[in-house]
Amino acid sequence: MPAARDTANGRGSWWQRKRTRELALVACFLLPSLIVFFLYRMLPLGWNVLLSVQYWSPLKPARWAGLDHYEEMLFHDDVFWQSLKNTLIFIGASPFAIALALGIALLVNSDLKGAAVYRSIVFLSYPLMTVAVGIIWRWMYDERGGIINYALRESGLVTKPIPFLQSFDWALPSVIVAEVWQVLGFYMIILLTGLQSIPQHLYEAASIDGAPRRAQFWRITLPLLKPSLFLCAVVGILNSFTSFDLVYIMTNGGPGHATELLITHIYKSGFGQTKFDYAAALTVVQFALLLGLTYLANRAAGGNAGSLERR
Amino acid sequence: MTLPDWARSRWVIVPLAMAIAVAGWNGYVALNDGGLVEGRVVDGAGRPVSGATVILLERNFVMHNERQRTRADAAGRFRFTGNDNHSLQLEAESAPLGRSERRVVRLWFRAQNVTLAEPLQFAGRLP
Amino acid sequence: MGRRRHTLFRHAALVAVSAVMLVPFYWVIKTAVTNENIYAYPPRLLPENPHLFNFVDVWYLIPFPRYLANSLIVSALVVAGNVVCNAMAGYALTRNFPGRQGVLLLLLSCMLIPFQATIIPAYLITAKLGLLNSYVGLALPLLSTIVCIFVFKAAFEAVPHSLIDAARIDGLSEWRIILRILMPLSKAAIATNVILAFIWSWNAFLWPLIITREPTMQTLPLGLARFLSYMEDTTGALYAFAVMVLAPSIFVFLMAQKEFIRGLTSGATKG
Repeated sequence: MPAARDTANGRGSWWQRKRTRELALVACFLLPSLIVFFLYRMLPLGWNVLLSVQYWSPLKPARWAGLDHYEEMLFHDDVFWQSLKNTLIFIGASPFAIALALGIALLVNSDLKGAAVYRSIVFLSYPLMTVAVGIIWRWMYDERGGIINYALRESGLVTKPIPFLQSFDWALPSVIVAEVWQVLGFYMIILLTGLQSIPQHLYEAASIDGAPRRAQFWRITLPLLKPSLFLCAVVGILNSFTSFDLVYIMTNGGPGHATELLITHIYKSGFGQTKFDYAAALTVVQFALLLGLTYLANRAAGGNAGSLERR
Repeated sequence: MTLPDWARSRWVIVPLAMAIAVAGWNGYVALNDGGLVEGRVVDGAGRPVSGATVILLERNFVMHNERQRTRADAAGRFRFTGNDNHSLQLEAESAPLGRSERRVVRLWFRAQNVTLAEPLQFAGRLP
Repeated sequence: MGRRRHTLFRHAALVAVSAVMLVPFYWVIKTAVTNENIYAYPPRLLPENPHLFNFVDVWYLIPFPRYLANSLIVSALVVAGNVVCNAMAGYALTRNFPGRQGVLLLLLSCMLIPFQATIIPAYLITAKLGLLNSYVGLALPLLSTIVCIFVFKAAFEAVPHSLIDAARIDGLSEWRIILRILMPLSKAAIATNVILAFIWSWNAFLWPLIITREPTMQTLPLGLARFLSYMEDTTGALYAFAVMVLAPSIFVFLMAQKEFIRGLTSGATKG
């Protein structure tokens, strides 16, 4: 076989065979993953858009609906607006969570003895099952058996227990606190990795130049952390979508849609009321919101999405 | 004998230890699941109450249902066999003394053999 | 002197943060082992007469073994599928072929599509495939993840070319090269993949909620949610269930912390 490499005629066919073999190999190896992504990422994205402009029901053929679903959503569905507002509030809480995580990361990022232990403790909440986390926090907020009300009453701050998860004002912040508790460790790890990748000599040079610590933070640390901060922001946005588990367990959207998120509204419309087409329209809006916010975060982080393009 | 490198990793030692623990526990359960419940019945002064009827109740989700009855012998001892539940209650009745306390007995596995540490006690005293 | 105060302040702050993070754990464990009416006010800070029998109750009174088995089977499928598919895709991406940039771009953009944006059509597709309420259907969307493909790709690219070239000269086929040379040298990537795939499939709630039709196919998160709705008694049984459900996650986390963290941050810094 190798001898055929040198003959003029043999080179063409041998080369072609090797090339096609290599392409076939690559295609075979990529195929399983690509099938999964096609079936469960790309196809659903397109089908969502298609469903959102149809009247679809499991038994009848689909009919064209134009923008009827969007009209219903924007003008006749109060729950949509409430859930959109709740989702935005949820996302709005993430900068505070990220700032808190940055503080913890700065504290842990030193040759402090036992830093690894602190790191593990803070990160422990992230790999837990969100359903269980929801049950734990639901119990913590309980009026009789919960520690939060107990602490508030014992310290004299309130005289009657606060029904956190049943009150219109407190329900959403309560769910947000539970979500922050769970995701704080993740933010901390990302920021810690970012902090540790900042070259030390930059700080040394700044110290030699006489820059105070505070200026070093704002001028060196923060700008170089932009990729990590961007990733945390994206996760924070995504969390408002993945917090379905928490809301389902803690309040199920109540009381009266006070904690309804876009994702729970989608779930209830699609699988509760079987209005798949309307739920698809909601999903399209949700995805557009996600893309829009990610784009804004990308701009705020300085254009290029951190190191995502470095290949 | 020193272990080879791969056997010293935590991915081998921990699952192995867990498997041994599970096997050991299952062995213990197999040896002790005869369904035997034994104990003694005494009155308020600590004297055995012979001939008392002892009732075994077993748990069914949130209620307890009567399952078996037996009589205490001359020394106040009683014995049930064939218990297959993990959460029981025992109660005794005796004509002169009425009803005794209701003792909750919780087991580690179904049909675990158990002997009451403290005897079932009636409030009153035998004449 | 200022140095020592600084360190003390750091420790104090971190201890405070750790305490706040650990309070929920303590509270749920305390409730799970308590022997009294958990709704009595004031709740005791230390459990009185703690006992472990709530765990025995959970084991027998709800189909915990069934849920556990379902979760284990689905997780095993997902982990196995992930390692195989991602390793193959990662290897394919280390080769230079026309359209490689396009495929990379495609994968990166797929990363932006969260699972929640696909639930309606994903349900319809799975129904069309006839995989509703089956283990394969439960595992299918999670069988391959883009982050893990890149982890494998980076690991394979770190293997020195000389080794691979020597193997090629020796006449080994592609499969042999992967199995005999690349995989043993990428143990860290495999471990990361296993941990991430396990955690994601173990904790998945929304997808099993949509897909399962019968209680016998439910996984642990579903069982827990179902228990919440029909068991409202005054013992700590529900919280014992929660503790039993959390135990495997915490155990896996403690065993494989480094790999888990590395998997998450490799998605972050890709460098």
